[in-house]
Order: sequence, then C-alpha cells, then structure tokens
Amino acid sequence: MNGPRSYIFNSMVRLAVFLVNVFALYLLLRGHNAPGGGFIAGLATAISLILLSLALGVQEMHRLLRFDPVLLAAGGLLTAIVTGLLPLLVGKPFLEHFNFHLHDVPLLGEVHVGTPLLFDVGVYLVVVGVTCKMIFVFAKSTQGLRALVAEEERRYSSPVEQPIEADVPRAEAEVGNQGKEKTHAD
Amino acid sequence: MQIESALLIGVLFGCATYLILQNSFVKILFGFVVLTNAANLLVLTMSGNPGGKYAPIVGDAAGPLVDPLPQALILTAIVIGFGVTAYLVLLLYRIFLDQNTTNAAELYEDQDTSEHT
Amino acid sequence: MNWTILPILLPLLTALLALFWGKPSRARRVVVACSAGVQLVLALALVTRAYHGETFLLNLGNWTAPFGIVVVIDLLAAVMIALCTFVALVAVLFGYVELSSRIEHPLRLPLTQLLVTGINLAFCTGDLFNLFVAFEIMLIASYALLTLEADDWDVKQAFPYLAINLMGSTLFLCAAGLAYTLFGTLNFADIALRSAEMADDPRVLALGLLLMVVFGIKAGVFPLYYWLPNSYPTLPIPLAAIYSGMLTKVGVYVLLRVFGTVLPHSLDLVHQLLAWLAGATMIFGVLGAISRNFIRGILSYHILSQIGFMVLAIGLFTPLSFAACIFYIIHHIIVKSSLFLIGGVGACLNRTDNLDRMGNLWRHAPWLGVLFLCQALSLAGLPPLSGFWGKYAIIVVGLEKGAYVLVGACIVASILTLFSMLKIWNSAFWNSDEEREVCLWDLRWVRMSWVVAIMVVVSLGIGLGAELIFRVAQEAATRALDQEGYARIVLGYVGKGATPAP
Repeated sequence: MNGPRSYIFNSMVRLAVFLVNVFALYLLLRGHNAPGGGFIAGLATAISLILLSLALGVQEMHRLLRFDPVLLAAGGLLTAIVTGLLPLLVGKPFLEHFNFHLHDVPLLGEVHVGTPLLFDVGVYLVVVGVTCKMIFVFAKSTQGLRALVAEEERRYSSPVEQPIEADVPRAEAEVGNQGKEKTHAD
Repeated sequence: MQIESALLIGVLFGCATYLILQNSFVKILFGFVVLTNAANLLVLTMSGNPGGKYAPIVGDAAGPLVDPLPQALILTAIVIGFGVTAYLVLLLYRIFLDQNTTNAAELYEDQDTSEHT
Repeated sequence: MNWTILPILLPLLTALLALFWGKPSRARRVVVACSAGVQLVLALALVTRAYHGETFLLNLGNWTAPFGIVVVIDLLAAVMIALCTFVALVAVLFGYVELSSRIEHPLRLPLTQLLVTGINLAFCTGDLFNLFVAFEIMLIASYALLTLEADDWDVKQAFPYLAINLMGSTLFLCAAGLAYTLFGTLNFADIALRSAEMADDPRVLALGLLLMVVFGIKAGVFPLYYWLPNSYPTLPIPLAAIYSGMLTKVGVYVLLRVFGTVLPHSLDLVHQLLAWLAGATMIFGVLGAISRNFIRGILSYHILSQIGFMVLAIGLFTPLSFAACIFYIIHHIIVKSSLFLIGGVGACLNRTDNLDRMGNLWRHAPWLGVLFLCQALSLAGLPPLSGFWGKYAIIVVGLEKGAYVLVGACIVASILTLFSMLKIWNSAFWNSDEEREVCLWDLRWVRMSWVVAIMVVVSLGIGLGAELIFRVAQEAATRALDQEGYARIVLGYVGKGATPAP
C-alpha cells in the first residue's frame, strides 16, 4: 500500500483498534455463560488487525509482528489441547472442566473463573493467528509483495508474487503458458 | 415461520446451484458461499419452532427456548466454511495467476489427462 | 485413566510439535517417525484388546452419551486406525528416503499428521456431527497437501477436487440436520435405537439416500468419482500412497458404519442401489485404468474399481459380505499404497512414470519386479495372495443372493485389472529397449525398495494368514452389525431410554 496516508484515518484507527480489542476481551471473558466466546472475540481482534493493516500497510505490520502468525494459531491449539489434557492428571476424562467461584477479590468482587476460559483463550489465539495469516497472504499477494515466509516460498509461492494489477504483456504470458503446456504434453 | 424459512432455503440453494454452474470463477466462489449459508440456515430451521419447548435440565424455565444444539452445529459449520472459503479464494486466485483466465470452461476446455506425467 | 483419546491426540500433538519446530531437519524427522511408530504400536494394542471383546468408550468432558460427545473404538474402528497409522508410518519413511531434509517442504510433515488426526477421528467418533468435523479436518489437510508442492497443472486439477468435496460437505451438513429433526439426536447409538421404530418412515429412506450420496462422493462411487483420478496423480508419491490408501476408504468405512450400525437394516432400496452403483464403479474404474498411460493414473483409476468391490459387499448386506468388505479394505489399503510406492521407485529409476518411456526395470532391478508382481497379482485377485480371499467371499455372497450380473461384473473387472497390471509390467519391467535408461546410480531406489518391502511382507502375510485376518474381519462385522450391542455399550441401555425426544 504505497498511496498517500490520511492522518485522520490513521489516528482514528489507533483509537478504534484499542476499542475493538477491549470489546474483544469483554466478549472473551463473558463467553462461558453469555453470548460471546473465543471465536467471536478472535474475529473482533481480526477486524482490528484489518483496520491496522489499512492504516500502516501490511508490510509494516508484518515487521511489527516479527513472527509467522501461524505459530500463534499453533500456540492457541496447544493451549486448548493442554487445557483438555489437564483433567487426565487427576483421573478425569479428556476435556472435563472445572469452575471456581472466588469471593471478595480486590477491585473485582465476585469472580467466576474456570478452565473453559483457558480453552477459550486457546480458541481466540487460533482464530487471531489464522485470520492474521489470511490477511497477510491476501493483502500482500494482491499487492505483488512476498506473501509467505521464507521456507514456504521456495516451493509454492512464486506465482502468487505477481501483483494482480501487474500489466503482464499478453504475448509474453502466452508464450510462457505454451511452454508449460508443452512440458505437460509429453 | 417454517414455510418462509423453507422457501428462503430453497431459493438460496437454487441461486447457489445456478452460480456454481456458471463459468466465471467469481460466480463459482459466490455460489459456494451462498451454498454454505443455505445449508447453515437449513440446520437452523431444523431446530424448529421454540413454542412449547422447555430446557431439559433447568426444569421451570421462564419461557420457551430454542434448541441450542443446532446453533452449536452451525457455529462449527460456519468456522469450517470460513476456512474453506479462504482457501478457495486463494486457490482460484492462484489458478488465475497461473493460467491467466477466470473462465472455468476455457480452463478445462481441451485437457487430455490420460498421458500427463 | 482412559487412553481412548490418544489415537487422535498423538498425531495432533506431533503435528503441532513439527509446526513449532519449523525448519525441516533430521532430528524433526526422527521425532515424527518415532511418534508414528508409537501410534502404530498403540493401534495394534487397541486391535488385540478389541479382538478379545473390549470396546473403548470415552465421554468427552464427562457428559454421558446421548448428550455429550463420545469417542468409541470398537474392533472395526481399531482395525482401521491400525491400518491408517501403518500406511502413514511407511509413507513418512518413504518420504524421508525420497527427499533429503534440505529440500523437504516444512509443512508437509505437520499436514500429514493432521491428515492422520482427521482420519482417526472419523474412525472413532460416535456421532454424526463429529463425523462431519472429522471429514472436514481430513479434507482441509488434504486440500493443503494437494496444493502444497504443486505446479500450475496440479493446482488446476485441485479445483474439481475441492469443488466436489465442498458440495459433499454441504450435503453432509444437510443430512445431519435432517437426522436431527427425525431422531432428535445425532449420536450413532441413539439413532440406531430410535430409527428401529421408524424403519418404514419414508423420511428415513430419504436420509439413507442422502447419506449414500454424501459418502458415495467421499468414497468415489460411480457417477461421483470425477474428482479422484485426475487429482491423485498430481501428488508427491508418499502422499499419493496415503491418499490412495486411506481417504476413499474412510468413505467406505463410514458407509459400513452408517448402514450397518446406525440406520435400520431394512433399507433395501438403498442397499440395492449401492450394489448396482458399485457394479458400475468397478467396470468404469477399470476401463479408465486401461485408458491411462502412466502408472499413477492407472493406479488412481484402480482405486475406483476396487472401491466398487467394497461397496458391492456393503450393498449385498449380509454378515458374511460385511466381513468380506472389511477383509477387502484391509487388503486393499496395503496393496494400493505399496503399488503407488513401487510406482514411485520405478519413476525414480526411469525418471518418469510414463509407460512409453519406461523400461528395462526387470533386467536391472529384478527384486523390484518381484515386489510389483506380488502386489499387482494380489490386486487382480490371484490365489493365494490377499486379494483373492476378499473377492472370493464377495462372489460367494453374490451367488448366494442371486446377483449374477454383479458377480459377472466382478469377474470382468478382475480380468481387466490383471490386463492393465500386465500393461505396466510389459512396458516398465519387461521392455528391454536399450534406449530406456535406468538410473541405477541414484541409490535412493535401494532404500525406497526396502521401505516398500515392509508393506509387501505385510500384504503377503495377509494373504497367507487369511484365516486369522478373516476371523478378525468376521468378528468386526458381527459387532458392527449388532446395533443393540453397540447401543448397550455406548448408552448403557437398550430400548426407549430415559431421554425425551425434543
């Protein structure tokens, strides 16, 4: 995204990202007994990420994140599985959950927490990681940037790097295609 | 409610089938999106009218309740559909980049698969 | 402690571990292979214990059966899990030998393990909706693997695969919704109990037909198989072995499970339809195989033709034919995967698997020829190899039932199978045209052949020890057909039960 940036848009996005993520946290925490939960919270965060990528540009975002978002998703999955496995330690079946009701916590008062929340956090991370990866790949590949991490690129990304608007000379492209067809025909 | 939902689902399935049978990639893609939604709606309608049903565990509920199970099923189906749609978009985009066409008929027009190695 | 969850959890954890590991390296390969080995040992332990009468049951999150999600491993499921883990282990080893870790794609191992997770979940799930989820996990992993190392031609072939499977998944979801409206439950055992009283209801028949279409798509039954023969040959060899061995067989397994254990046994229309479609699948599959001119293409069409035999056994619908079907699945998974691997070794030696340019293999690599002959003749069904016994049992049941046309189709399909296998044999092995170079200096083929030999030995063992395997298959079939026994194990009661219909 190389066009001129709007200062107003950027400042608004900063505010919006903050608000959306607070709302996502709210959805995540209330998910056990009320509408909400890890998936929907993850989608809310994903929306904030889309906004951020519009304001900063995807490349800049990737630089800020520093690691492949798929790892975030994998971490989330691991969190969820480990939460499911914990009951096995005390001889209960897989995915059994426990709830605690805490009284008189400073600042919060009555708090109801349980292992389902941990599971939801796992789901949240999976959704954020996956959608983040999707945003990166979609946005970058349509802009002609390198969409994938280094190891993935070697094999299967080369065609994805062409920008969608790129004005590939028609004749040249056709020659290329014919060449490929020939190799397939024999 | 049942009749209206049934009609709506029928129309959605019809649209989806029509779109999937088109040649353009974009139409095919939208066809699949509509198809998943039609199926989700079908499952939702399957849970039926809330009238006269009460929660099995709570006992005296305040009012009639909708069956939550189909909703859980739909949520799962939506998540799966989300992932598959994202994959489909990128697959079609990649085919477009490789073959320089978005027309399915053109793409599969004269392929001889019997000897490809 | 209940270990029933492990066949699903181990591959999933392995996939995650490999994903976190990131770069392909020798150590990562060793870890994944060890995990695959542990899975195999576990699966074999499950089979032996299940054979001695045990059924493993796990209520996830401690919710009892008709309300919560159950994982059930009976003998049939245990056998399938064992086959899946075995094929996965061998294919992974073959992949190690074929490519050095420097040029391996970093996502291949995690996705393979994820595929195994999905397949295992499909085998041991106890309700219809989780079956849908399992199918989706399996399919998403398979989409990804199909296009992971693909060139432009391969990606083009992946689209029909994706489109038809998406359609199938949507129909599956609709079928699940229909089942829920009809029975008020999605649990296999609960449906079995409730549907027994509604056996004459035309809506049950409609559900049966819908499920037949859905699983027919997954298994590649006659009018719905277009996606298979063009997409499988685009895969790398070890992955093609897993796909050809397992994916369609998941469809066949589910047909067994749904029509044997879940739906009432009186759906004659569906069973007859299945039998006739199976006959058509056999013939068209084998004709397609004859028309192809490269090994992977021929083998891909043979999958369809063999699927025909298994589905025919389901369609005949007697306890003996179910046992024959299970035996046939056991035989077929191993033979088909090993044939793909042998084709891969041949392609490595000749640098192509196009039959017009292959040759000289018998002169330079006779042991490979022996391996191929064992498996090819077994696929065609010559005694005493494993394929013979399955076909024999199916034909016996067909004659008992008076389905002479279908039996005729079986025999014709077998003969044509032999013919197309001889086509491979004649041009790849016996052809002694000096111009067809054999790259013996590429020493990978020796180790690849050793890996294949493991499978061939197992396959020979199945053929020679057919009596034991058939007894296992019979036991599995009896238990899969025993709806009341299944319900008693899963729900703890038989009959109306305590739960009111919603």
